[in-house]
Amino acid sequence: MPKIKIDGSEIEVENGTTLLQACEIAGAEVPRFCYHERLSIAGNCRMCLVEVKGTPKPQASCAMSVNDLRPGPNGEPPEVFTRTPQVKKAREGVMEFLLINHPLDCPICDQGGECDLQDQAMAYGIDRNRFHENKRAVEDKYIGPLVKTSMNRCIQCTRCVRFTTEVGGVEDLGAIGRGEDMEITTYLERAMTSELQGNVIDLCPVGALTSKPYEFKARPWELRKTETIDVMDAVGSNIRVDARGREVMRILPRSNDDVNEEWITDKSRFVWDGLKSQRLDRPYIREMGKLRPATWNEAFARIAEQIKATAPDRIGVLMGDLNSVEEMYSLKTLATQLGIGNVDCRQDGSPLGEAGGRAGYIFNPGIAGIERADAILLIGTNPRMEAAVLNARIRKAWRNRAVPIGVIGEHADLTYRYSYLGAGPDTLVELVEGRGDFIEKLKNAKAPLIIVGAGAISRPDGKAVLANAAKLAQACGAIKDGWNGFAVLHTAAARVGGLDICALPAQGGRSTREILAGASSGDIDFVYLLGADEIDMASLGRAFVVYQGTHGDAGAHRADVILPGAAYTEKSGTFVNTEGRAQLAYRAAFPPGEAREDWAILRALSELLGKKLPWDSLDQLRAELYKVAPHLARINQLVPADAAGLQELADRAGAMASDAFHSPVRDFYLTNPITRASFTMAECSALRHRTRLQAAE
Amino acid sequence: MTRVFVPRDSAALSVGADEVAIAIAAEAKKRGLKIDLVRTGSRGLLWLEPLIEVETPKGRIAYGPVQPEDVTSLFDANFLSGARHALSHGHPDDIPYLKRQERVTFARIGVIDPVSIADFTAHGGYEGLRKALEMKPLEIVTAITESGLRGRGGAGFPAGIKWKTVHDAEADQKYICCNADEGDSGTFADRMLMEGDPLTLVEGMTIAAIATGATQGYIYVRSEYPHAIATLKRAIANAVEANYLGNDIRGSGKSFWLTVRTGAGAYICGEETAMLESLEGKRGMVRPKPPIPALQGLFGKPTVINNVLTFGAAPQVLARGAQYYKDFGMGRSRGTQAFQLAGNIRHGGLVEKAFGITLRELIYDFGGGTQSGRPVRAVQVGGPLGSYLPEAQFDLPMDYETFAANAAMVGHGGIVVFDDTVDMAKQARFAMEFCAIESCGKCTPCRIGAIRGIEVIDRIIAGIERDKNLLLLDDLCQTMVDGSLCAMGGLTPMPVQSAVKHFPGDFDRPAKLEAAE
Repeated sequence: MPKIKIDGSEIEVENGTTLLQACEIAGAEVPRFCYHERLSIAGNCRMCLVEVKGTPKPQASCAMSVNDLRPGPNGEPPEVFTRTPQVKKAREGVMEFLLINHPLDCPICDQGGECDLQDQAMAYGIDRNRFHENKRAVEDKYIGPLVKTSMNRCIQCTRCVRFTTEVGGVEDLGAIGRGEDMEITTYLERAMTSELQGNVIDLCPVGALTSKPYEFKARPWELRKTETIDVMDAVGSNIRVDARGREVMRILPRSNDDVNEEWITDKSRFVWDGLKSQRLDRPYIREMGKLRPATWNEAFARIAEQIKATAPDRIGVLMGDLNSVEEMYSLKTLATQLGIGNVDCRQDGSPLGEAGGRAGYIFNPGIAGIERADAILLIGTNPRMEAAVLNARIRKAWRNRAVPIGVIGEHADLTYRYSYLGAGPDTLVELVEGRGDFIEKLKNAKAPLIIVGAGAISRPDGKAVLANAAKLAQACGAIKDGWNGFAVLHTAAARVGGLDICALPAQGGRSTREILAGASSGDIDFVYLLGADEIDMASLGRAFVVYQGTHGDAGAHRADVILPGAAYTEKSGTFVNTEGRAQLAYRAAFPPGEAREDWAILRALSELLGKKLPWDSLDQLRAELYKVAPHLARINQLVPADAAGLQELADRAGAMASDAFHSPVRDFYLTNPITRASFTMAECSALRHRTRLQAAE
Repeated sequence: MTRVFVPRDSAALSVGADEVAIAIAAEAKKRGLKIDLVRTGSRGLLWLEPLIEVETPKGRIAYGPVQPEDVTSLFDANFLSGARHALSHGHPDDIPYLKRQERVTFARIGVIDPVSIADFTAHGGYEGLRKALEMKPLEIVTAITESGLRGRGGAGFPAGIKWKTVHDAEADQKYICCNADEGDSGTFADRMLMEGDPLTLVEGMTIAAIATGATQGYIYVRSEYPHAIATLKRAIANAVEANYLGNDIRGSGKSFWLTVRTGAGAYICGEETAMLESLEGKRGMVRPKPPIPALQGLFGKPTVINNVLTFGAAPQVLARGAQYYKDFGMGRSRGTQAFQLAGNIRHGGLVEKAFGITLRELIYDFGGGTQSGRPVRAVQVGGPLGSYLPEAQFDLPMDYETFAANAAMVGHGGIVVFDDTVDMAKQARFAMEFCAIESCGKCTPCRIGAIRGIEVIDRIIAGIERDKNLLLLDDLCQTMVDGSLCAMGGLTPMPVQSAVKHFPGDFDRPAKLEAAE
């Protein structure tokens, strides 16, 4: 490991460390605009200049590795200085240049208060201008409904261009013009097409790219920042929710190398306006076919009356995609106490959790494990739509290491090149039987990764598909010491948590499909929907429906009693992501009106039903919860599952239907009640749809 | 059949070489004389173009400058036998301008048919490659290193070290790239070699390929050189046909393919990393170095990038030995440099001469002073980013180190002469303007500094707050020098600051505002 002396203190760093990183390690802050550790090095802002002993000119520390420096004549480590007058003068010169053109519109700029240029100008700027000619003027560009441009402010760092090209995998953004006329734009000012485009807002070191929906809404210092977890997909992206008063103003990503690096999808970032509309802010009771506002007591009384009048085996409980573990555990416990066995947390009808233990339903190698994989097979999944941040990881593996990728399912643009193997189970069978070219790639790989999507296993023959995928994983050596390459990619944030607490049909109980079939046929009289909106409401037949949730979506429209719950930004709860990592979400704002935290609603209801849940606080609830699922107590950690269970799963491999696999995500922007209440998401969806129509025409 | 040589070099074409060739052919036909009309490159005596030559038993005889209307009189005077004529210059090699030169790389230029393999080999061509094929790759690299050959593109980096780096690099694919994006104003040596003796370049690149293990080469030519592009393509096709290129070159088991790529008119694509981007089909933007192209160059593979003249020198190093080449020159600048005399000069053209010659010799002994007849005031050496030198520095020997020590650069050997009517403040402004137009826009100092530099110089020219603005100009130049990503922004201050330093009077202007009042 090379040694280097920074401002007189000697440190040892890893090979390939840039001078900038080495300086940071040594505690010397280096200003930068274009450098970003997750993007390629551009070296164009020239703000990070440092002095290297023995070189006449200052060096851009971002573009030089410690290995590029030679030791002194007697083998002494190379020396770097960050505080010399030469360095200061050079940085001040660059800063002066940047400020020649940058407008002085900080008071009306949304970046104000969290602007790199503003901050650095405090350190390296001077308080007057020596250049009095006109500033450069650039027309603003339309680049989509999410990102607002103010191109006079652009300092041409090209972070946005590099992000969309390298991480996003779309060549939407680029530069036109040369020299001072260089401008950042999309081709013909079309909207960007990446699901990750919002990240350019965070990356932009100035106010050139800002959030359109958040435009002129708040100043950063007015906001209360809450570090929490996203539920728009099953990745469990780490986010920060910024609220003012009761209102969520914006959502930003947090860095977590194991989960979302520092990206979030546009859905996660811009869904917040959906938290404000279509909200269920008081209980409702349906009377004479119409919903009327009611008090909590009225609503609970109505439910209690109905439950007491119904035999437990004629009651079904379904749980949706956005629930935290705490409320699912509460509802499951209550159901058990009431003798109800028809409980299912899998509203999509998948067979997960029935065999194979925990290893049979999680993304075993972990999201970061994608970076170890050296051959990847996608079965019935479109990760770009289902987990766009995770898809960026796959793209990274492909881009950096040319990992071969095979796809069985939809022939979609995944932002990387792949071998298209086939559309459905027939191709899967081929691979299981060891036929085809791609099986060799999997077998020759040290760490083959088999990703099976929610769409492939929520079909009626899902059980067989899951089993065949496990069998293939076994056959190609994906399950061995130190590597479990069998990975289920979920689309629902609640699912793994639900499976972890076994919110599944009891012995002889009905599954989602059976509950719905029973309701249709009149065998089920009462259905409790805990945020379950993605089922076919028509098949609920004449059953009495309780909907506990946040939005006036499909479930609420069908319900006979509505109990207003708290959205993910309004409660503390555990969410377990697709890889089985338990993470805690925190309350950033209060639920609207009379809406309450869901566990508390269920606790109150249980009392009325005479089956009081044995906890009075969230802490007590969690203590009970950790007894049945101890790994949930290991917050933020990846708890590996025992791979032995996969044998049992693989043994169940049977015949599959021949229909092609389809991703369950038909529209990336509209996948849950919150997104469907969001104006921004509707706009994005319409735009994507329109583009598709135009392309098809 | 008498061979008559008429150049087809762009410089000759621009003064009517094609028309002369047509007139000669027509006149010969009319008179029933059989001649073999050969189109050659130019000898580089540009004021004599079109300079035609006739092969006689006594050797070649040159006539020039010939215009179509002179053709009849040439035939009348029986020029085909080398007879005397008003335009006759006798043996071309005896013309003092040529005789005093040391033509090594340009030995065949103007002599041979540029695309003829037979002509080329008859004049010693492919001798270097023949020797190279008998040597181990490392021996070739060593020979280049020992010859002291340095990059002729301007930076003067030792070619041997670069080749050694690529030789030592391990990769499934390596490339040889020739930088023929000769964009410096006042330079034309690359073009002349490509138009007049392209096979020398091809041979040099082939030697580099064999030395480093590369199998694919690209010549990146600027689009403003259509004749060079056509000639190169023809020459490459002929070389492939004769198996000097392609698979299993001359039965050696070595393969090398060569492709010509055309630039799109950006000066910055002459910067090696921007050229790589352009070759890869991307926008011509400078890449940060490291990684150096010798390790991660074209498509991320180890790549030798040299100028036309660097590759052009390699065959002679191999053919005649490293010592032969090393014996030319002075100090650490070994071999010959193709100096290009341009601007306000009487005898403009190509002077290939060992390093160490002084500017004065080049301007007066070769160039014959200014075209206008007025005294020389300033000379810009090394292209538009080179320093302006005053008379006092004309005795500096042409040597990389000596020039660098005097805040100037030899560069690509372009020499542009100005007489005493030049306004050096306007020349300084031009340097900034050139940078503003040609900057790729990537790095802050170059993108913003150049355009604001123009404005500051404008203020100085207008006589506004001279001292304050000169100080500001100095600070601005310092930021460009310190902070620029590539040599373009880093060197732009060179002509500006040299003009200010050597010609301060031109920057001391009366205020226009006051005059207007």
